[in-house]
Amino acid sequence: MELEKSFELHIPSVLGFEKVVVDFAASVGKTVHLPAERIEDLKTAVAEACINAIEHGNKMKPGTKVSISFTIEESKLQVAVQDEGMGIGQITPPSIEHTIAARKERPRGWGIFLIKNLMDEVEFETHPGGWNVVRMVIRLQEE
Amino acid sequence: MSNDIEATIRNIDNVAIIDIKGDVTAVTGEAIEEAYQEVSLAGSTKILLVFDQACYINSGGIAILIGIVSESQENKQIIRITGLSEHFHKIFDMVGLTRYTDIFPSEAAALQGF
Repeated sequence: MELEKSFELHIPSVLGFEKVVVDFAASVGKTVHLPAERIEDLKTAVAEACINAIEHGNKMKPGTKVSISFTIEESKLQVAVQDEGMGIGQITPPSIEHTIAARKERPRGWGIFLIKNLMDEVEFETHPGGWNVVRMVIRLQEE
Repeated sequence: MSNDIEATIRNIDNVAIIDIKGDVTAVTGEAIEEAYQEVSLAGSTKILLVFDQACYINSGGIAILIGIVSESQENKQIIRITGLSEHFHKIFDMVGLTRYTDIFPSEAAALQGF
């Protein structure tokens, strides 16, 4: 029998509230018996997705929200983070060498870089109607 | 939401040590940047960043740290790091910070031969 459980959270577009989601993600990670190191990966990826949604998606506009859903399936945990924005377009992958050579003070794009490197699957979707969603999957270990 | 961070400076021999307590984000990271500027102005060429094992570091904080490392390369300073959890050690590796700084398991180890 396939087990599926879903949870949903909504946070205001205010930096700092991503930590509420991070704490929730840690609890979900423990519930599905992720190893401690994978829970840390999940916490960082979820935090970065929420920060992007707050800062770049919703542009911190009062009244906008970020919706986060956690879906536990038999072999994976899926997290979807959705904003109400118009999309941020293509982002050049960051490079520390380029930053140092170009003497850039505040290089950006590290959030997406971390999400892609820490999660097992990542998918970005932008809707012309005005919302973006990032779907992240972390595979559950076999018992 | 709390934006508390403390970045305090102390010196041991010729090493400037910046103790960082609290979350490292784009907002709070400015305190680290200010501490770095202060030790740079004082002429320090050896700088040790001491993080709190329990701290939360996000991409905004990482961007600030990369900026500091970038400036240190220009100023011919050496930066060492200690106090990171295993997870953030991995993150620093991932973003390439460990190509420009060395991470040590303890303050004593970081000061050894600095």
